[in-house]
Amino acid sequence: MSQFVQVLLFGLTLGGVYALMASGLTLVFGVMRIVNIAHAAFMIIAAYIAFFAFTIYNIDPILSIFITMPVMFFVGIAVYWLFFARIEGTARAGELTVLLTFALALMVEGLLGYFFSNIYRSANPPYATQALHFGPYILSAGQFYATLLSIGLIVLLWAFLKYSRIGYAIRATMQNISAAQVVGVNVERMSMIAFGIGMALAGASGSMMSFLFTFYPGKHWEWIAILLALIVLGGMGSLVGALAGAFILAISSALVSYYYGPTWSPITFFLALFIILLVRPQGLFGKKMEA
Amino acid sequence: MALLEVDDIRAGYGDGPDILQGLSMAIEQGKTYCIIGPNGAGKSTLLKAICGLLHPREGNVTFKGEVLNKLRTDEILRRGISFVPQDRSLFPDMTVKENLRMGGYILRDSKELEASIKEVLVMFPILEERSSQQAKTLSGGQQQMLAIGRALVLRPEVIMLDEPSLGLAPKIAQFIFDTIAQLKDAGMTIILVEQNARKGLECAEWGCVLDLGINRFEGPSNTILSDPRIQELYLGSQKQDRQEETV
Repeated sequence: MSQFVQVLLFGLTLGGVYALMASGLTLVFGVMRIVNIAHAAFMIIAAYIAFFAFTIYNIDPILSIFITMPVMFFVGIAVYWLFFARIEGTARAGELTVLLTFALALMVEGLLGYFFSNIYRSANPPYATQALHFGPYILSAGQFYATLLSIGLIVLLWAFLKYSRIGYAIRATMQNISAAQVVGVNVERMSMIAFGIGMALAGASGSMMSFLFTFYPGKHWEWIAILLALIVLGGMGSLVGALAGAFILAISSALVSYYYGPTWSPITFFLALFIILLVRPQGLFGKKMEA
Repeated sequence: MALLEVDDIRAGYGDGPDILQGLSMAIEQGKTYCIIGPNGAGKSTLLKAICGLLHPREGNVTFKGEVLNKLRTDEILRRGISFVPQDRSLFPDMTVKENLRMGGYILRDSKELEASIKEVLVMFPILEERSSQQAKTLSGGQQQMLAIGRALVLRPEVIMLDEPSLGLAPKIAQFIFDTIAQLKDAGMTIILVEQNARKGLECAEWGCVLDLGINRFEGPSNTILSDPRIQELYLGSQKQDRQEETV
């Protein structure tokens, strides 16, 4: 029993970080109706920023979100303005965005590989190897802090969407784009802001990744696969769904890893993806979409 | 000079053909206009071109002497023209109150917004009752009231309604027409697109028959109602059309 709780806690402390990673992806999908395949590649950029900020300037990787979030926000705005603004509203925008985000992912991977080589990296702040004791249970300090921060950021995002004027406009665009236009929401601007926020969340995720996991430029393929499984499970475009999907899958993969061995852990995500697509294709919290 | 003038405009979607093919129309202050015509005549396109959801390719839309062609929807809303689109497009997961608040999205003054929302709720007491319910839980008629209410939040001078009675039970549709009459009495200028041409014309002073993207015929609505040619072409087949649609 106590082993079970221990594994559960391990899953819980990973879930928050997964949720943070997925939240940006699902927000961008909700507003722009595009699946940003490059989301995890941008997380890796941020992980490199956090890594070098730590190794060169000794900046704490958790505090590095104050660098990675604004930097990635503006990278997001630039990417939106350079690429997405041009194809939005064209006849084949849907297909183009798939190719575009795929190409962006490849470009980012190539550039990172060129500049920083393909060596495995991981920042090593003291808490990365420390443990926290809660009675009989042990938690990784790094994971614990990272999950707390992740949940904090998700709550901030939720409050922003719920209470701010721009948040209202973003939610309106998510729910009914033509109605948003009718009441005078500048839908294109909201898309740009949402994309920027999505990238900022990828930035914060990268900061967490820099000390929780090892990374290298090609690592983003593994991550995007996991993140897509999470948001499909939760329901694409739903923030609550991303949160639920992240915790469910983080905990299940931890349990699978403990009872059946770590080799089987990654398959949890894809098995869950299969099952959800068969049983409830719109996800746990998603809406049915018209064909 | 008319309040709102549409002068020889051509407009269409994307790279597609012109839906409006040189349409002209003059809207006078305080009057109600009913636009009728077959499917694909360009009725909705005309309303979209007026409120900036679609920019005319040629010709001008002028409001109080100012050309609106290149303005964004929020700028046109600010000038006093509101639009209630055909699909009652609401924000389904937002509450009734939040939907009304979105109607005043372009307002910066929250006191003004709240006062205006209160007025709308007085006009539609059922919305007041349901104010904390999500829009998607409302009935069709209530949703239409919310859509109209949301457009009224900005206290527009001109309100354009695209088929407000579509898909509603006759009793509820009648309530919507009564509401339109109420707005008319309050001095609002109304542009109404209606499939239910007879009903629509009955509550309007002036009627326009659109066909193939031009203003085929216009005149006082009772003249149109009694014109045998128009009766045959656009009113006679009315019943049949309705039935097909409801199936």
